[in-house]
Amino acid sequence: MSEHHGHHIASAKQLWGIGIALLILTVLTVTVAGLGLPSPFDILSAMAIALTKAFLVAAFFMGLYWDTKFNSMLLIGALAFFILMVSITLLDTLYRDDVVPSF
Amino acid sequence: MANHSATHPKHVHHHFVNSNQQFESAKLGMWVFLVNEILFFGGLFCAYIVFRAWYPELFTQAALELNTFWGAVNTVVLIGSSLTVAMAIRSAQNNQKRGLEINLLITILLACVFLVIKYFEYEHKLHLGIAPGSFWNPTPEIAAVLDHPKANIFFGIYYMMTAVHGLHVIIGIALMVWLYLRARKGHFNSEYYTPVEITGLYWHLVDLIWIFLFPLLYLIE
Repeated sequence: MSEHHGHHIASAKQLWGIGIALLILTVLTVTVAGLGLPSPFDILSAMAIALTKAFLVAAFFMGLYWDTKFNSMLLIGALAFFILMVSITLLDTLYRDDVVPSF
Repeated sequence: MANHSATHPKHVHHHFVNSNQQFESAKLGMWVFLVNEILFFGGLFCAYIVFRAWYPELFTQAALELNTFWGAVNTVVLIGSSLTVAMAIRSAQNNQKRGLEINLLITILLACVFLVIKYFEYEHKLHLGIAPGSFWNPTPEIAAVLDHPKANIFFGIYYMMTAVHGLHVIIGIALMVWLYLRARKGHFNSEYYTPVEITGLYWHLVDLIWIFLFPLLYLIE
């Protein structure tokens, strides 16, 4: 905490640690994709790693971990509405007898 | 308020109580914009999910035309640029003018590397006739391995998602150049670095989008 504003200043060590963790996760996701896991475990493992990376970026690079909870709420709200948009769309597209011909 | 200038730092606008409130308001505004960005890209991800659910075999086939190696290199490049942006903010917070300038320059350089790699990927595909939608006109060799009737739709989604993302990278570069020029003039210090902070938030979001685009487009086996 700085004495001026209470802005958190992340240490260089912390930031490099997050950067290296993101690199390791990138290598991991490429390696796991190469294993050729059966569906749906391929997509589930890829998304689990991507979500972990996204969490690290949002929490530490974007500083949500030290920030006011309101900004975290905005991000979580955006994700909730995204899931809502996809769910309602899939309720239509997954249950069509025939896909629209020109699609 | 006769003593206004005595009690307020120069960068604080009249309608804010103090520097910190102004900073937090700017950051809140940026987060609201990022919510809008997430839902904007969300529409494209939604199209991806719908078409992948309809044609799972198409995505497995078509992804083979994407080069995993260069996709991975670009992922590393963007992660590196996110790290340098975070370091740039840290430099500004610690009054390190030189560190701020150098980190911004490295970020600009990495963003350009990303675009150059992306350009060569596009160039290679378009050369083979792998184009989106009605421009789909593959060479016989490509048509032989990728004979799915909806192949053009996969690449419609691929080009749309990566091009809109690339547009964000270009805008990001312009913002970083602007920050660099202001940093050189000594506009930023530990008391005032709001533009660095909120441009950093934007840049991290561009990185976040790519973190999902990479496995979804390149890593389907």
